[in-house]
Amino acid sequence: MNTFVSAFTFDSLVWDWIIAIYLFLTGMSAGMVLISIHLKRKVIEGKASANGIIKATAILAPLGIISGLTILIFHLTKPLAFWKILIYFNTSSVMSMGVILFQVYMIILFTWIAIMFKDELANLLQKLFKGRLAFVNPIVDKLAKLENAVELLLALLAIMLAAYTGFLLSALKTYPMLNNPVLPVLFIFSSVSSGAAACLMLGIVGFKESFHSKSVQWIHSIERPVVVFELFVLLTFFTGLIFGGGQNEVAAMAAIGGGFWATWFWYGVVGAGMLVPLALNFFVPTQAQHNKAFVLLVTSLSLVGVLMLRTFILYAGQMTVV
Amino acid sequence: MACSRRNLLIGAGAVIFTTGVAKVALAKKSLVATQDVGDKRYGMVFDETACIGCTACTDACRETNNVPEGVSRLTIERSAPMGEYPNVDYTFTRVSCQHCDNAPCVTVCPTGASYVDLKTGIVDVHSDKCVGCGYCLAACPYQVRFFHPETKSADKCNFCRDTNLKAGKLPACVESCPTNALTFGDLNDPTSEINKVIASNAVYRSKIELGTEPKLYKVADTKGEIKR
Repeated sequence: MNTFVSAFTFDSLVWDWIIAIYLFLTGMSAGMVLISIHLKRKVIEGKASANGIIKATAILAPLGIISGLTILIFHLTKPLAFWKILIYFNTSSVMSMGVILFQVYMIILFTWIAIMFKDELANLLQKLFKGRLAFVNPIVDKLAKLENAVELLLALLAIMLAAYTGFLLSALKTYPMLNNPVLPVLFIFSSVSSGAAACLMLGIVGFKESFHSKSVQWIHSIERPVVVFELFVLLTFFTGLIFGGGQNEVAAMAAIGGGFWATWFWYGVVGAGMLVPLALNFFVPTQAQHNKAFVLLVTSLSLVGVLMLRTFILYAGQMTVV
Repeated sequence: MACSRRNLLIGAGAVIFTTGVAKVALAKKSLVATQDVGDKRYGMVFDETACIGCTACTDACRETNNVPEGVSRLTIERSAPMGEYPNVDYTFTRVSCQHCDNAPCVTVCPTGASYVDLKTGIVDVHSDKCVGCGYCLAACPYQVRFFHPETKSADKCNFCRDTNLKAGKLPACVESCPTNALTFGDLNDPTSEINKVIASNAVYRSKIELGTEPKLYKVADTKGEIKR
């Protein structure tokens, strides 16, 4: 119990697990959006709004980013002063630039969803407000003409958002493990990985997307390369630190060389979150994979793995000071 | 215009002399740390050879700046014992804001609450602008920032900017030190006491390889390894 407590509370720790959840939710939102934009543009035939994966994204992508930002606000020492972060800005601050990015991302995300679901939106508004909000429909129709531009912009914003969570930490000179140029790349891949898992989980189990649909097939086809590349980026992350010597090496060894966080990393992040899902997809016969319990198991492992990765980077990263 | 080879060589020699050589000569003089960021550029020297670890400075700081228990703007850290009983010795070092010219806390602050005051070079916090995100606490490589339990803002040493300094006095820690281990003054003034102390002692600054350009100098203890 003592090791557990000391692993989560130490002097140099500033940001705790709330921030890890926020990083996870933000990354998942960005990953789902990236995957869904590709599906809509290149894979889905017919109406995108009828697709289970797209529906999953339309719900979880906004929900992820909004709940992530909400817990972030309550993590401030002055939650009621959060509006000051919106009106004051500092161009040299990654966080300040991120706040602007968040706002643009959310506006474009909602625009994109409104365009895709414009018929459903019109019905919903009619049902709830009896025509009082009918002026929204022509606006959405006008925006629909810009659909292509909105999509490309949103894809760019999603990549920036996924990378932002890395830059936020890599700007910290204090911690050699976080002050690492590979971190934004690692977080882009872990975002896509969590996005894929969330798309499959809610898309198949919640919205009953068929196992044989082209969308599901495409996501399955990128899962393995994404995880394998993520493992390679993790390798460069730690070899870079170890080859750097000095406190970089101390930080790397403190993180993965032994102790609570090393166990967390090897068994949780790499084992349960990456290798077990890879093995399950590889060894279990395709026939057996086509049931909801299997999908739920594999996607849960991936999601928990990504959450554990974000938690690991945050805590182990703050353990060693330059 | 006629320009003989002889004149050209003389001219070129003059240019080399006035630029290259003059620069070298000036660079030697700049051992007196000067930089034009404003009228004044306050810094401090902590003399490890003079500090006896009495912590009168930490108490004076707490009292003068109303720093609540549980947090501190200034601490004195004692080294592990050196030598065998009864000849045991310690070294002491000061842990507090280094008032970096290139302060990471200022760079990362999303609202501009953390800033360098250009008139004095002092790194300070606009309490009303601070939202309490903690980015500066994490960004400070010297780990000297904390959340003030009452204001909920990021807080740290500001050289008594709104207490003693405002009243025309030296910072509380400097005033209270019984062994004169602390020297406070304007680094921009070549004749100041602090520049004399820097020029006549072997001084070092912590973690300068990070490019933070701190303004807290330390006179190295004569025994043991320097822990930067």
